[in-house]
Amino acid sequence: MLEKVATWARKRSPWVFHINASSCNGCDIELVASLTPRYDIERFGAVLVPSPRHADVLIVTGTVNAQTKDRLRRVYEQLPEPKHVIALGACAAAGGVFKGCYNVGQGVQDVIPVDMFIPGCPPRPEAIMYGVLKLLGEVK
Amino acid sequence: MSEVLVQQIERLAAEHQAKCTQLRKGETTVEIDQTQVKGFVKRLVTETLARHLSTITGLDLGQNIGIIYHFWHEKNTIHVKTTVPKEKPTALSIVDIVPGAILYEMEIHDMFGVEFTGNPWMDRKLLLPDTWPEDLPPPLLKTVKPADIRKRLGLEVERK
Amino acid sequence: MSEEQGKPPRKEESAGLMKYSAENLVPFGPIHPALKEPEYFKLVLEGEKIVEVIPRIGYVHRGLEKAAESRPWVQNMYMFERTCGICSFVHSLTYGQAVEGLTIYEVPRRAKFIRTIVAELERIHSHLLWVGLMGHWAGFETLFMWVWRDREVVLDLVEAISGNRVHKSMNAFCGVRKDMPPGMEDRIVERMKFLADRANYYKQIIDTEETMLERTEGIGRISPDTAEALCAVGPMARYVGLRSDIRLNDPYAAYDEVPFDIVTRSEGDVHALLKLRLDEMIVSANIVSYAVQHLPDGPIRVKIPPIIPAGEHSSHSEAPRGEIFYYVKSSGGRTPERVKSRQPTMANLPTALEILKGQTIADVPVVLTAIDPCFGCMDRMSFLDIESSRQWTWSGEQLRQYGINHYFPGRAKKR
Repeated sequence: MLEKVATWARKRSPWVFHINASSCNGCDIELVASLTPRYDIERFGAVLVPSPRHADVLIVTGTVNAQTKDRLRRVYEQLPEPKHVIALGACAAAGGVFKGCYNVGQGVQDVIPVDMFIPGCPPRPEAIMYGVLKLLGEVK
Repeated sequence: MSEVLVQQIERLAAEHQAKCTQLRKGETTVEIDQTQVKGFVKRLVTETLARHLSTITGLDLGQNIGIIYHFWHEKNTIHVKTTVPKEKPTALSIVDIVPGAILYEMEIHDMFGVEFTGNPWMDRKLLLPDTWPEDLPPPLLKTVKPADIRKRLGLEVERK
Repeated sequence: MSEEQGKPPRKEESAGLMKYSAENLVPFGPIHPALKEPEYFKLVLEGEKIVEVIPRIGYVHRGLEKAAESRPWVQNMYMFERTCGICSFVHSLTYGQAVEGLTIYEVPRRAKFIRTIVAELERIHSHLLWVGLMGHWAGFETLFMWVWRDREVVLDLVEAISGNRVHKSMNAFCGVRKDMPPGMEDRIVERMKFLADRANYYKQIIDTEETMLERTEGIGRISPDTAEALCAVGPMARYVGLRSDIRLNDPYAAYDEVPFDIVTRSEGDVHALLKLRLDEMIVSANIVSYAVQHLPDGPIRVKIPPIIPAGEHSSHSEAPRGEIFYYVKSSGGRTPERVKSRQPTMANLPTALEILKGQTIADVPVVLTAIDPCFGCMDRMSFLDIESSRQWTWSGEQLRQYGINHYFPGRAKKR
């Protein structure tokens, strides 16, 4: 019974922690723009939290270079279970336009498991909201 | 006004045994020996007031590593070019003349392996990751392949 | 406030601290970071005051310059555009200008005007973004929401012209890829007037609102001579009175045909930076209105062959944050031999480190945001207090809350 209540609460209001892993900031500003009055992701209950220890969902942007790989893994470990990961943008999915550069990974899924990819360079705020809400539908 | 500047640069170049060429309108190149660089830059900064250093570029020229200082003053870009041999890549730092050069020299140290004597931050990395292997050559040399760097940094992962 | 108790530093460590000599600005002496985790900035304190800042950038280092050497010239344009999401157009513009200088082709006049229009729209969006962030870090969330809502006006225009909000991909060698859509002139002029009015409104707010005044007046000072010696660029040079603006001093695109004034301030504090960027927004809005109303007819592009003649050329332009510099060297092939790109944030970093000295911890978020760094830089900071030998690490949010609570004690935490 308690489990059902907890799931309902989590589904209604995901707490999101955002980490920039070597991103050009394009995806980050579209993510922040989705908080602003025109898109207002908060009306769906999604809230950006300041610490990974309070988060249900981790949003990762960027190419994950050698310097940020370990930090990403550490932040992922700090998220309490159950946790979900969204890889935002083309770089987080597969390295984007920088694929093959010497300090660029091949996507976030090589470092931590990913539940949802939101493609785009950068994805529009509407696409970001659609992705987050779709993930909410998946939270069981 | 720019003609006066160009004449001043040509005079300074001649006094430091350097070759001065007008690449095109607004761009002057001065090719100078490593030993003369500091003296030339000091006089350039104090006499022509070309104080703004846009950046410093490193180049792999085969036997040598090229270092180009890009100064900008009054619609004129001045490229001060010098070289250091690859077997002994040591150059003299200009941070005592142009303090803004400190990070640019660190970048060339990271990317080409050039030691700038007199730069106090030669003991640390600016851009390269902490996990950069000691025995891996600097990345922007032509002999280094990106694929090899990726393997050594652990960025190539086997996909099932 | 979470902190990790560090061991007191060894004798050799505390002896080897960074000091700037009085005569010149060159730092000397090594310092040994004790924390294993990489931090973006290490701030060395004496009590509450900062005495030294050690930067560790490299979190966004991807290896673009190396990759550029094995990609065709035109592909590099769209790769360098993605160096930064906020000033992406100016990156591709400067790279394009550097390569065009090696060819015999000229950029058509209409293309130069369109480039100017998009570049200025980008400047407006970047400054609005920054003003909003300043509001956020200073504790004035309402300003952040209002400003970012106004920013959507600019992004709508950018999308109507180029098809994308962030990475516009408008530039091509010797021209632009898309023409200005017909019938946009009135809409653009009206929106620019709206934005200029909003900028004036925000200037009023920062002059009267207690939060902004307390947190930005008198903070972040540096002398013009120091700024020039450290090669500061853009607003960081202009806010102390240096008349350094590439659009006027070394015009490119259509800036020699569009009349406008340079904006400088003499107060030299963060409050002046706010007013400066808002004034620049108004100037940009006027440039866009003028350019749109005087757009010349003609082609928008000259197609050039994929092989660029041998030679070397450099170009620079005024990005919202300062001077962007590109140097390209061609050996007559389909790919460059060398491309060097220098972002304005790196040029301003020595100046920023110098400004931080003498500030207190509570002022760090405002001062660091004032230099307009990239997002990731603010994520993590470590502190070392040499008086008490305490070391600790904070996230950007913890630092922000500390600053707000220091200035306005008792103000409720947002979340």
